[in-house]
Amino acid sequence: MKRWLPFAGIGLLAALAGVSLWLAGRHATPVAPQSGPVEATPAAIQSAQFVDGDGKPRTLAQFAGKVLVVNFWATWCTPCREEMPGFVKLQSRWQDRGVQFVGLAQDDPAKVAAFSRELGINYPLWLGEAEVMALSRRLGNRLGVLPHTVLLDGQGRVIESRIGIFSESVLDSRLAAITGK
Amino acid sequence: MTRITSILATACLACAAAAAAPPADEPLDPDKAFHPEARLVAGDPVATGNTERHGIDIDYRIAPGYYLYRSRLRFEVSPPTLLIGAPDLPPGIEVNDPFIGKSAIYRERVTIHLPFAVSIAKPGRYKVKIIAQGCAEDRLCYSPFPQEVVVNIPPGYRVIDAPMPRGIPR
Repeated sequence: MKRWLPFAGIGLLAALAGVSLWLAGRHATPVAPQSGPVEATPAAIQSAQFVDGDGKPRTLAQFAGKVLVVNFWATWCTPCREEMPGFVKLQSRWQDRGVQFVGLAQDDPAKVAAFSRELGINYPLWLGEAEVMALSRRLGNRLGVLPHTVLLDGQGRVIESRIGIFSESVLDSRLAAITGK
Repeated sequence: MTRITSILATACLACAAAAAAPPADEPLDPDKAFHPEARLVAGDPVATGNTERHGIDIDYRIAPGYYLYRSRLRFEVSPPTLLIGAPDLPPGIEVNDPFIGKSAIYRERVTIHLPFAVSIAKPGRYKVKIIAQGCAEDRLCYSPFPQEVVVNIPPGYRVIDAPMPRGIPR
């Protein structure tokens, strides 16, 4: 019987327990659901066509140079509506520091307009057809869920793609880190 | 020695399981959150009378914490030679949304009946294409997503005295 064997076993068990605790802790920490790989190029993102509430064509290129918070949402999506008041506050707080919010939806224009009035949305809410969710998927939304929020730098490059509710405090911290302001 | 080996093996398995398990808040794929199965219904007695039901039942198993919107469900049978009438949608659970008003949702399990609109159904393999929409409670919603289930009509199957479904003129 080798005398070192039990000690080696205990050491290995301790190491395994440490790994398990790390893995368990990693899962216990509240994390945002993971989105998939980003397939859209900055040029494709900036040139994607939408319309505003008046039916005028719009692209994200008009905000080139700004950090963009692009939020995919819908009026029927309750979690989307829950996070938007926080976006309104953040748009006010960050608008003079080079940050612009834009909402994108495949939805009924009348419902979007009513919702915008009711909540006092202070950033553009643009509309589109199937290409809205197609872009969302190409920006990492593998499951096609809402809300989906993408942070873009001034050149249209994806900094972060997140599905589910983006809390006001977390997004505020992310914008501070991205802009250095 | 054997005991140490078995303890180590158990610990390794526990580690592997911890590593493989998805984070608890990762949303499910639509087909796992909202799992449909199709079943041929041939002559089930209807509780309210002596007539018989003939058609396809779509049985949905909905994961805990998820729900389907009743009014957003759409069904289409392919090939379209098998005609179906208006889906028989159970009332569901009524919810009142402050913005979109009253709507109905399904949780846990629901069976939707697609009645045949023909007296003779040709044997064969039919696909039921579904467009569904639902949410994970307080977290996120699934934009309209397609699903597909298959039902087989065996040779010799015959719809006898099937009541004409609502919305289909005689």
